Amino acid sequence: MAKTLFLVFVLMTGVVVGAEEKLGDVPDGSRSNFVHLIPMLAEPLPGKEPDQIHPGDEPVLPFSTKATCGACHSYDIITTGWHFNAIDPNVKSGRRGQPWILADPPSATQIPLSYRPWPGVFRPQEIGLTPMGFLQYFGRQLPGGGIGEMVDTSDNPEEILRAGITGKLEINCLACHNISPGVDMGGASGYAIQIIRGNYRWAATASSEFAYVTGTTEDLKDYDFRAPFLSSDTKLRPPAVEYYKDSFKHNDWARFDVSVEIPKQRCYFCHSNADVRDGKNEKWLADEDVHLTAGLKCMDCHRNGLPHDIIRGYPAEPCDSNNSLAAVSSCQGCHTAKNNGPPLNGRFTAPVPKHIGLPKVHFDKLTCTACHSGPWPKETTVRTQTARAHALGVARAKKGGDVLPHLTYPVFAKGQDGKIGVFKLLWPAYWASEANDNVTPLNLDTVKGATSKVIAKSALSKERDWPNLTEEDIAKILTLLVSKVPAGSRPVYIASGKLFSLNDAGKITSAENPAASPYMWPIAHDIRPSAQSLGVRNCKDCHSTDSPFFFGNVSIDTPIKPAKEARGMASFEGLNKTYEWCFAFSFIFRPWLKAVTILSSLVIAGVLLLYALKALGFIAKAVIGDDS
Amino acid sequence: MTWLLNSGIFRPAAETAFIATVVLIAIHFAVSHPKFDDVFGKDRGLRILDPLRLAVFVFTLLFVEQKWSFVGALRKLVFLLALLCFVVLLVTGFVPMFFLGKMITGWWMMIHATAAPVFAGCLAILAVLWADKNRLDKNYCPWLNRILNRQSKNAAEPQKFELELKICFWIILFLSLPVILSETLSMFYLFGELGQEVLLQLHRYSTLLLALFAIIYLYLAALNEMEKTAKQGHFKENQL
Repeated sequence: MAKTLFLVFVLMTGVVVGAEEKLGDVPDGSRSNFVHLIPMLAEPLPGKEPDQIHPGDEPVLPFSTKATCGACHSYDIITTGWHFNAIDPNVKSGRRGQPWILADPPSATQIPLSYRPWPGVFRPQEIGLTPMGFLQYFGRQLPGGGIGEMVDTSDNPEEILRAGITGKLEINCLACHNISPGVDMGGASGYAIQIIRGNYRWAATASSEFAYVTGTTEDLKDYDFRAPFLSSDTKLRPPAVEYYKDSFKHNDWARFDVSVEIPKQRCYFCHSNADVRDGKNEKWLADEDVHLTAGLKCMDCHRNGLPHDIIRGYPAEPCDSNNSLAAVSSCQGCHTAKNNGPPLNGRFTAPVPKHIGLPKVHFDKLTCTACHSGPWPKETTVRTQTARAHALGVARAKKGGDVLPHLTYPVFAKGQDGKIGVFKLLWPAYWASEANDNVTPLNLDTVKGATSKVIAKSALSKERDWPNLTEEDIAKILTLLVSKVPAGSRPVYIASGKLFSLNDAGKITSAENPAASPYMWPIAHDIRPSAQSLGVRNCKDCHSTDSPFFFGNVSIDTPIKPAKEARGMASFEGLNKTYEWCFAFSFIFRPWLKAVTILSSLVIAGVLLLYALKALGFIAKAVIGDDS
Repeated sequence: MTWLLNSGIFRPAAETAFIATVVLIAIHFAVSHPKFDDVFGKDRGLRILDPLRLAVFVFTLLFVEQKWSFVGALRKLVFLLALLCFVVLLVTGFVPMFFLGKMITGWWMMIHATAAPVFAGCLAILAVLWADKNRLDKNYCPWLNRILNRQSKNAAEPQKFELELKICFWIILFLSLPVILSETLSMFYLFGELGQEVLLQLHRYSTLLLALFAIIYLYLAALNEMEKTAKQGHFKENQL
């Protein structure tokens, strides 16, 4: 024990370089991988130093990343990173991003949530989600930290007590940095499942390739994870850790296969995209992003240093980020960056595109992704799924193309930068109260109390699709919710881009409302090869009277049956559909225009040449004195 | 080259050029226009209506002399059409930039692109029909003829501003080539980003020059007609 404490003392204090810097905070410049043969340290008691974990310990404790990794890397600095700082109101939220989407089929709800103040999203607390409630829904694909470490600051006293049992969800460094093929994020006993079981303290350990975690904190009322579990209730199985035999090496240290060269599979666990084809999301039918196919890693563009201020990669990011590479890590950064100093483009052998025959106006009005990202547009947008929205890669998550939430893309729309880009879209559906044109979502528990009385279980889809909901059902639910909304407001339902409410006669009415606007976020991936970019065939890829780019339809998703609607793409682009049609139609005459102008140029050039030669002849004669 | 590609320079440059041209024309007109008494007659009534008389006079110039032949009719028709297209192109090309602060786009662009090939066609026809008439074959520069020891065969006395008009004609014809080709070539798969940018700027600057010379040409043509009218007798009062 004395040896352990000494070791910990050395790790925690002796290796600290300078005032606050730790050993791992200061890179030495070597590009080789550092072998992390280190002691596994357990979560310390308040005010105490962490203990090393040994194979013979009883009970066997999970390791704490904050203690183990934090011994050499400044955990407090890392927590400021993009993946962990959503709850910090002082952090610039930057370009609108993918929200967390709470999809609850029984209450016909799919609502975008985020702790970042992006327009169009709601704070989780607005629908009654406590930090622990948020983790229950979304912790599966959170890398820990941030809200995961705020479970003991809940407004709910019961949750504070429970946080002592579940522990905090510390940053799981292994979620990204573990390069072992045995890393288990979504497996049957992996990271995601531990969080669903309420085993926050054990989640990181479960994700490692050298430990297995069983049990759950779900029904535990009182539990000290450091003490042997003594209970007469044999049904209770508290979390237990089993470290594999060969996990402990010299000095009972463990070797963590960690690296800053993060393989794409680590990113994919939370950032996979899958298009739904014929009701399935078969990944073998889709190609990867062309950059990955070319051999790049996600981290080549999405770089960061110790503060984990990871580059998101949009052109305006230098205004929002302190990352010194933000300016040169967007599409333009590698492919077209121009400056007066040393050339910046061509990083990673990025080809500099020539864009032959493409008028400059396209660069003023379109983002790079508009032509290069997402699937080739069709007449109507297609259903797509993401890891974070659909728990892709998580064991026991419902599979299938109809699982809520319903996301659709590619939607060509005007973004915050005023350019037309390509977006994913969610039609929000939620129950709310409305007063003075302000729409506020209702607490999910309140909603469930009403919807469960109207939407029969038999009406629910086994595929976690929308329930069968009619306008009569909505009227009944709204009637039940009248007494649940604050005084002076009325209950409403948002769906399919409309606001549904009861009129004075108790009948359902619907109207367009800004609160029902779809939530859209720009996408970058997957990038298609240049040979499949829009316009590669000719201008008519977009400028034809039936091109999906201008005249495609964005399907409107709704739980209300029967209702199949769509909205024209031009309305999302902020364009006049009539004008765009006329402009596209004019391309029929473009060959004539070219012929007329070229012919005219030839005639004019001929006349100029003829009279220039005549003048030259006159001068020549004059010079030699020929007066004939 | 880089400064030329900076599209921010073009707007102030164009505004300055247009204002300077209009001011110079106004000064030139004030200094050298024929007496209104000679053009409109001494007994023309209210002098305050002179600007209106002048406007009507210039408008009547649209009805250019026409010969009773197919070619004569064609020439007149083509000239009027070219003039109309020129005004349309001038308005759609420069109004969005000068008054709306944006580059040509939307319906402005549609109208511009519709009028452009018509203008190009008209210009080509006028080049063929007017080239010979605009030969520099008179004794415009006696000093030059003396140096070259030549006697011009066309002994007719040149009219006032005739040389300037003819020079303008050839300059307009010459400038029309970059104006037309810069836009036409950009529609082919020939030029990349930089090439497209160069073509766009070439179109802008050559168009600006062409527009200025066309305005000068029309002004000189009007002035020339006023001179002729003044020589032949005053403008018929009943035309007002």
